[in-house]
This record gives sequence, structure tokens and C-alpha cells, in this order.
Amino acid sequence: MKRKLLILALMLGLTLSLCACAAKDKAPQDGDTAYIQEKGTLVVGITDFAPMDYQNENGEWIGFDADMAKAFAESLGVKVEFIEINWDNKIMELETKAIDCVWNGMTLTEEVTTAMATSEPYCLNGQVVVISSDKAADYQDTDSLKTLRFAAENGSAGAGELESLGLEYVAKPTQADALLEVASGASDACVIDLLMAGAMIGEGTSYPDLTYTVQLNSEEYGVGFRKGSNLAEAFNTFWKKAYDEGTVLKTATAYGVQESIIEK
Amino acid sequence: MLAAVTLSLLRGLMTTLELFFLTLLFALPLGLLISFGSMSRLTPLRGVTKGIVWVIRGTPLMLQILVIFYGPGLLFGLPLLPRFTAALVSFVINYACYFSEIFRGGIQSVPAGQYEAGQVLGMTRPQIFFRITLLQVIKRIVPPMSNEFITLVKDTALVRIISVYEIIWMGESYIKKGMIWPLFYTAVFYLAVNGLLTLLFGRFEKKLSYFR
Repeated sequence: MKRKLLILALMLGLTLSLCACAAKDKAPQDGDTAYIQEKGTLVVGITDFAPMDYQNENGEWIGFDADMAKAFAESLGVKVEFIEINWDNKIMELETKAIDCVWNGMTLTEEVTTAMATSEPYCLNGQVVVISSDKAADYQDTDSLKTLRFAAENGSAGAGELESLGLEYVAKPTQADALLEVASGASDACVIDLLMAGAMIGEGTSYPDLTYTVQLNSEEYGVGFRKGSNLAEAFNTFWKKAYDEGTVLKTATAYGVQESIIEK
Repeated sequence: MLAAVTLSLLRGLMTTLELFFLTLLFALPLGLLISFGSMSRLTPLRGVTKGIVWVIRGTPLMLQILVIFYGPGLLFGLPLLPRFTAALVSFVINYACYFSEIFRGGIQSVPAGQYEAGQVLGMTRPQIFFRITLLQVIKRIVPPMSNEFITLVKDTALVRIISVYEIIWMGESYIKKGMIWPLFYTAVFYLAVNGLLTLLFGRFEKKLSYFR
């Protein structure tokens, strides 16, 4: 019986070491751009985030980021494919090649720039405090925020701002969920992107009774690629050219974000 | 609006049901196989099987989904399985382990005297299993199985962690459009599916209530 066990253990060890060898052989990587072109599709990881990425009635992804991603894929000579990802998993999605880039109004935080090869920033943004309109007058500066119960997207730039202010908050999976907290009264206020606040709250939206007050910081949006990827460079060249040709501003104007675009 | 939401939730429900049926299709036979492993007279085989069952039942299914989808890429740089396939594989393994214990309980609840009687009559072990044991096993495991089936329907909601667009994902996506009710509306679909399952199991149990 002991010998059987020994043989079994040996076989298990052998299988594991074989797996490890297989892994090592795969390690050296050609340029990411070559990989994308060989594969023929650029897989863009996004979330539903108007006005950057959202679906029209036909289910096609549109928005400032989506349209520019289509143009970028065209410049590489490949097709574009959008995949709605779970935002918490974006780094794993990139590393495992489930997606090729994260292009979704992503704030260039330290977490993002250390874990990804990021493009130059292309859009300005900030984190703002969203609160119901009738309370807004009392909360116009950072000091007044201390008494509020906050919600923010887990791991987002807004959550980071709250932490640096020493304020507690309820972490939600998405910014939209954070808004929902405020709308339902579960939290007093939430911190979300200025761009998103501009598009999602106020009159004519689903949240007419909400408004935003204090802007906590200003930040920049960029596109994230796999660590060590040469696609970030290809993106920068593409963007400069598109900016010079006026494509960037034209697309931005179509979605109402032209004020936030960074001049190249 | 209700029609549009219902339609999109139904699309999510299709994915949910696909996952449900395919999981059953593969996990039931695999579970039976694992239950034989955990009752084997070979100590190493029994040990390994029980070890696997321990790991699978002892860790969260959500973690298993993440490991099966991202694991190959993260550890070995291998290409990934398609999202739905990865979800299916993790569900089949997970549920097979739970099923195996139910099968084991069912099989071992058949009195040893029946095996002995079979042996005296000159039947082989497979003959005893298929002609005498199995039918009684099926009868006895119906109630615990119906529990697992119903849990499985609801567990499918976990696969949205790797962006498989099942019904909860579809419901949740409306939150971003400012609509909260579609998420809670998904409950109606779960209730309908599980109501149907409960009815079917009730009937099945009645059908099986011969000898007694």
C-alpha cells in the first residue's frame, strides 16, 4: 500500500513539473502589436459608462471611447471587439490576454500605472461629491463633508479621495451602484467622476434630484495595455495624428466631452 | 419598457438555463464516478478522491470560477478557455463533488444484506448495482438532489464575476441607466424556474413511491 502511495505522489510531482516547464517555454513575448495583428482583433475591455462606452438601440457599442477605439483598431488594421468586464478584474483580464486593453474612462491612478502600460493622458476628469439638491447648499467645502455617510465605487479614484480625507464610505461594485445608494437614501452622498456626474444626474436624467458640489481633485484619463506592451506607444502616435486631423475633437463634440479633452 | 427589460432578462435567463442544464448533464455522471472513487477499496484512490472533494467543497465556488478562468493565463501564460466554458467547467467540478456525496449516502443506505443476497444468487457486482441498488438509490436521493438543483439555479449568478452575461448581470446593467427595478424583477424568473423544478420533483417523487 505504501508503494502505491509513493508512485502516486511521484506521478503527481511529475505532472506538476511538466506544467511548470510548459509555462517557462511560453514566457518570451513578441511585440504585443504583432500579436494583435496576427490575431486580427483588438479586444477592448469596457464597462457600460456613458458617455464613454454605452450601447445604442441596436446593441452596438458607441461613445467617445468606443468610437476612438474603433478608429485605433482600424489604424492597426484589425477588427475591434468590445467585452464588458468586471472592473475589479481588469488587471487579471489584461495579464491573461482575455482582453488587450482597458479603454473606459480609466483614471490613471498609481495602481493603474504600476500594473499596466498606460498611454499618455487624453482626457481630464475629477472626482466630485454627489448629493441631493436640497442638501447641497450646506455642503460646499471639504470640511463640511465630515458628517455625511458616503458611498463610492470599490477601488476607484473617488474611494481613494475619501480615504485620503479620512472619511469612511460604503464600497460598491460600480459608480452607478454608488449613485443608487444616494438616490435610495442609504447613503447621504457619493463620490464619482465629474464626466459621469455630468452625464447621469440633474434634470432630464434618471436622477433629477441629485447634484454635485465639491470637486475633490483633478485627474487624467488614459488607456491601459498589458505591462511591457508596445501598444501604448502605437496608441500615442495614433492619438497625436487623430488629434491633428481633428478626429478627436469631432468625436468628443458628438458626445459632449470636448471641454475635457487634453490638447496635444 | 417592461417588454424591453423582460426581453433582455430572458436573454440572460437563456444563459442561466444553458449553464444549469449543461452542468447537470456533465456533473451527474461525474458525481457518480467520484462517489465510486470515494467508496473504493483502493486506499490511494479513496484518499485522492476524498482530498479533491474536500478542496472543492471547502473553497468558495466564486474562487474556483476565477481560478479556472484566469488560472491558466496567470500561472502558465496559456490561452484561456472561453468565458462560458470556464464557468461550465467550474460548475461541473463543484457540483459533481456535492452530488458524489449524495450518491454515496444513497448507495451506502442500501442494507448490506441485499448485496449479500445478490452474491448468494450468483450476481456480479455490476449486476447487483444496476439491478438492485441503483433504483433504490435514485428513490432515496430525490429530496437532497432537489435541494442541489434549486441551489444550482441560483448559484449560476456567480458567473458574472468573469463577465458571463447571465440574468443578474442583465438586471444589474439597468442600474447604470437609472433603473433599479429590473434587478429585483429577476427574482420572478428565478421563482418561476424553481417553482417548475419543485413541481417536477414532487411528481417524480410520487412516481417513485412504489414498494412501500
